[in-house]
Amino acid sequence: MQSTQEIFDQLRKVLHELFEIEPSQVTLEAHLYNDLEIDSIDTIDLILRLKELTGRKIQPDQFRHVRTVGDAVNAIHALVQNKPAAA
Amino acid sequence: MSEPAPARFVPSGAANRLWRIFGTGLSFVCFGLGAVLLGFTVWPLLRLSTLDRRRGIARVQRAVSVSMRLFLWLMETLGVVSTEVHGREKLHGRGQFVVANHPTLIDVVILVGLMPEVDCIVKQALWRNVFLRWPVYWAGYISNATGEGLIAACVAALRDGRSLLVFPEGTRTRPGDSLDFQRGAAQIALAARVPLRPVTITCDPITLFKGNAWFRVPARTAHFVITVGEPIPVAEFLARGEPPSLAARHLTKALTEWFEVSAAQQLHEMRPETQLKG
Repeated sequence: MQSTQEIFDQLRKVLHELFEIEPSQVTLEAHLYNDLEIDSIDTIDLILRLKELTGRKIQPDQFRHVRTVGDAVNAIHALVQNKPAAA
Repeated sequence: MSEPAPARFVPSGAANRLWRIFGTGLSFVCFGLGAVLLGFTVWPLLRLSTLDRRRGIARVQRAVSVSMRLFLWLMETLGVVSTEVHGREKLHGRGQFVVANHPTLIDVVILVGLMPEVDCIVKQALWRNVFLRWPVYWAGYISNATGEGLIAACVAALRDGRSLLVFPEGTRTRPGDSLDFQRGAAQIALAARVPLRPVTITCDPITLFKGNAWFRVPARTAHFVITVGEPIPVAEFLARGEPPSLAARHLTKALTEWFEVSAAQQLHEMRPETQLKG
């Protein structure tokens, strides 16, 4: 079971790999769209990578309310806490 | 490049500036009236003249292109602007993915005038603009707001052999700012696997730029140079095997740099100081 700190570190790595975002820019308050310039197309790639890493099915609506890195970490944490959902 | 010939009945000297202020105002009025009039008569008629949606759109786009050319003719005759275009024949092929920088308000007018049928990607706000909503709607232009669906729609258009026009900045350049290209154009080019057809637009002295009030006309007639360049291939960005979002970032960066260089060069060649040196 991953802690939110581990998830945060992992997310930082992923954001760097996928989008070349400087790790120093990735803070919990960083706004994905306004600060990190992650657009809707990028989100698709991000969700795909998170699916691979968590081994969980991810519905795009689960991320619909995610605005900041902190929101993303919480959403991922909630995801890995649950048993794999049926749908 | 020689100095453009002055429009025939335009006064010179101090009256020139006043005339051009009048001419600019008149142009805006004609544009607005034209857009509304045509938007309620010719364009809907053309669109509804056939049951085939795409054929109807093509007819309207051709009419809009003619209107743009007429409007530009008006502005040139009034002496408000002058234009020179290089390489216009390069825009004539099917499925051209045209990208251009965006220094002034009439960039779209000039480019749409050069392309009889082209799908423009237009910012969402224009659908709410009292004048622009009519050509934008009847010509079947594409809104930039739709995210993933936008890329798919554009790829489909290009595959169908239709041409596309995008201003990667998404809005006019802020004077003095460097170019800030959004990634959409790169995303489309990579998804469709097509080269980009670059058009460099420079205007000196500049007019109708972002934040420029219509009556603040420049010291002399604004001169536009439009150069259609050779295709920018995307194959090397596809070949790197990077995730699409990363490839789009790299291509956007390369595209931005290409335009920075091209626009700087073009502007340098336009300026009188350069010409004096021979």
